[in-house]
Amino acid sequence: MPVHEKENTEMEARKVDPAPTGIVRADSQGLMVRSAGLVRRGLRDLARDSNWLIKKVFAGRSPSVAISDTGMVCAIPSSLQDAGQRLVLFDLEMNVSTMALAVPGESAERGANEAAVFSWSPGSRYLVAARRGWRAKALHIFDLHSKMLLGTFGDFAEFPAQLVWSPNGDYFAAASAGGKNARLRVWRTGAGPAETMPCAPTPTHEMGLPEGFERQTYEAEFGEEGGFSGYGSLAFSPDGKFLASVVEIRGDWADDSVVMVEAATLRKINVFHGQGHITDISWTPDGRGMIYCAAGQAYRVDLETLEAESLPFGAEFCACHPHLRLCLCFSSWLKNSAKGRLFVVDLNTLEILDEHSAENVAHLRWNGDGTKAYAATSDGMGYIYESPLI
Amino acid sequence: MALKATDELGSRPSATTTLNPEEQELARKRAEQAAIEGELAERELRSANLRAELGAFEQQYLHFVGSRYAELDELKAGIAERTAREQPSNARAQQVAREAREHAKETKTAAGEKLESSPQAFEASPEMKRLYRDVAKRIHPDLTSDRNDRAKRQALMAEANEAYRRGDDARLAKILTEYEWSPEQVQGEGAGAELIRVIRGISQARGRLGEIEAELQELLRSDLYQLKTRVDQAQRDGRDVLKEMIDKVEDQIAQAKRRLEVLTPVNR
Repeated sequence: MPVHEKENTEMEARKVDPAPTGIVRADSQGLMVRSAGLVRRGLRDLARDSNWLIKKVFAGRSPSVAISDTGMVCAIPSSLQDAGQRLVLFDLEMNVSTMALAVPGESAERGANEAAVFSWSPGSRYLVAARRGWRAKALHIFDLHSKMLLGTFGDFAEFPAQLVWSPNGDYFAAASAGGKNARLRVWRTGAGPAETMPCAPTPTHEMGLPEGFERQTYEAEFGEEGGFSGYGSLAFSPDGKFLASVVEIRGDWADDSVVMVEAATLRKINVFHGQGHITDISWTPDGRGMIYCAAGQAYRVDLETLEAESLPFGAEFCACHPHLRLCLCFSSWLKNSAKGRLFVVDLNTLEILDEHSAENVAHLRWNGDGTKAYAATSDGMGYIYESPLI
Repeated sequence: MALKATDELGSRPSATTTLNPEEQELARKRAEQAAIEGELAERELRSANLRAELGAFEQQYLHFVGSRYAELDELKAGIAERTAREQPSNARAQQVAREAREHAKETKTAAGEKLESSPQAFEASPEMKRLYRDVAKRIHPDLTSDRNDRAKRQALMAEANEAYRRGDDARLAKILTEYEWSPEQVQGEGAGAELIRVIRGISQARGRLGEIEAELQELLRSDLYQLKTRVDQAQRDGRDVLKEMIDKVEDQIAQAKRRLEVLTPVNR
């Protein structure tokens, strides 16, 4: 061996700490660590035949289902022995039931088919629920961290049609039908009687008959009377500052409207009239538009001009993505086949990016960071949409 | 160590009957050490083979699939940035755009620079395997208890692993020759001291055998190995899984390009 090579070898040998056992490896293991994420991603994409994952979440039927932004589902499955008494929570991702919440003093005799309504706070911390058969005519709030019923608030005369939390959790709203007794109520959260109770017993603001809807008569056109019947679907704007509610008008041929109010004051900002009975509304992520579903058809409204356009697809439910111009929709009637489908629409091109057959869908929701969308049906099916493009 | 054994025991006139108890034990231990050296070399070869195969497969994967994921994530970052620009008051959209850009950078780093030529799968010749076995038997760091010698062996073994991965048989042969002919390999000490060294060497070799097994298990559990196995099995059935993966990412790239086209460009 040439002297300089021998010296180099000895110097290299001195540099290496002799204490640890084993061999110093070539660079392949380091590379494996670097590529691990990309390899997992490739395996996941390879296994994915479809962007839709379908699961049976619960057996039987539930009068209502609500999905949280973390993929939790609340239901009252009729298959349970004490149906009607307990709210059962399911983890859609893991496909397991995680908790059963009992409401003290409520018996199972009140029937499993009684109407129910639920709403999850952002991050699934709180769950607000109401059941028509419960003795306490109030909203029940559960803390899912401490797994306990915190109490009740917001006594109601008319059963609430819908409950919703603002995206940032600052407001909670409840809408009820009931004609002249109908109410739209908003709570500023964090103002409860105790630190643990986010909502005060009475709402921060409430409104009854919306201005301009005192009486609507369709007598001349249809020979029947149409009047304000109550508030329907609710949706907060993406920044949580505004609340939109469907204003339902009684009558088979009546057109519902949507009223937009300031969340902090319930001051009316604007109103637009729909085409038929409006089943769902959702703000576009920029807050400048709204998608609404009426009589099985989807529409888009520009909230600056209030001009509406009919979209080239039908839908009964819609949920806009929190920041991308995408909308998850459900239609129970697919042209030429009379079958339902879930689909994701690109709101720029109005192209349907992805779809899957589905029936009896009752709730749609995107997760908190918008990487997944969820759907749940009244008969216990759950859908997870996850596209590599989102 | 092999040279020293020849020096000391080779000068003895005849077989076991003339050996004292220490020398008899030393002979037994040397036989045991020789067997364990052989086993260690076999296992090191298996481990080196697996690492080299996975390393080569990883290069292929990053070249063909990883680079496309980098392209896709770049497009997704572009979509997120343009979407955020359209919604200046949507804090979530701004955050998502920043995260998407960061993710695109990470993917690009992980995928590495695309090589000019297509990387090839690893395959060692029988001659390479024989050479590697010899190297592992002679210079394995766990076959010595001398600290300086051990350090030198560690460095040489790392070099040998790299040479094996590259398929450089000339370098492997040179490593072996250099080590065997180095003067510090010839030492003269008594049978008692040598016996201790051999016993310690056997103990270290046994420890190393356990380590190799653990390393092998870790490699076999890795996602990269799972993917490689899937690719290899599919290839035997006439399917090209890497091609399927490329097609899937290409589809996603095409969709992302369509979505990017309809968004307002960002003025940088």
